[in-house]
Amino acid sequence: MLIHAFPMITILSYILAVLSAMVVGLVLRIPILPERPMRYSWTISIIFPTSVLALGFTAILFKLGHTGIPVAIIVGILTAVFAKYFLERLLPRPQTEESA
Amino acid sequence: MNEIVAIVIAAVLCWLNFVLIDTWMGLPEAPGVKGAEVIGRAVKKRGGDLAGGLFQGNIVCSPDASAGTLLASAACYTIGTPEGGLVAAVLVYAGNRLCADPGYAGTTGALTITCIIYAASYIGIGPAEFIVGMVLAIVTIQGIDHPLASKLLGKIADKIGRHTKLT
Repeated sequence: MLIHAFPMITILSYILAVLSAMVVGLVLRIPILPERPMRYSWTISIIFPTSVLALGFTAILFKLGHTGIPVAIIVGILTAVFAKYFLERLLPRPQTEESA
Repeated sequence: MNEIVAIVIAAVLCWLNFVLIDTWMGLPEAPGVKGAEVIGRAVKKRGGDLAGGLFQGNIVCSPDASAGTLLASAACYTIGTPEGGLVAAVLVYAGNRLCADPGYAGTTGALTITCIIYAASYIGIGPAEFIVGMVLAIVTIQGIDHPLASKLLGKIADKIGRHTKLT
């Protein structure tokens, strides 16, 4: 199965979704990167997971038929707000370390 | 491309993708939850390597790059590339957080295999081959011989500088 190159407008939409999430994330003072060592950090940052969530949510809406640059920008903005205020409540970090 | 050859190539790519990312993200270093440590210790007791055992325990206990690779392959097959991989990354992230895991390995694995699937489509390897390939890849780690696989994983962890400090 050959997957054809997707249109430039789609690529631009994904980039704008990430950029708008980053800009709003900066305004909301979400940290840019998690603290080191990053692989054990539970801190919600702009690079991870906000940007990844922005890409995923944009992809979901695009597949549901809501395409276009304005949709991508709005998704980016809402993702940053979601990451800042709701993500920790919806998917909280574990209360206690389970491992010894 | 011949289907069998495509599956073998996809299996090798999936294996490298999830083993290297999981090792880099520290799965052999420490157990994320108690269950992972129990599995790691049991593998060591049977003659395996503790770091490799912890790796095997961690991928059982939370969706890491192995689950990300499989889910992204399945999602790309179902709804297309790259949307499937991006949606899979979000789902794996949610699954990770529910399993007391910060989620770096799973989402990174889903995103990298999406790029690999996209690149491989140019040589005639589609997401379907990657689904089969990932199943074969995980069988080599979890389904044939745990102690032997754990020794290999331990050596890879040692090379990448992620071997456990636990004894």
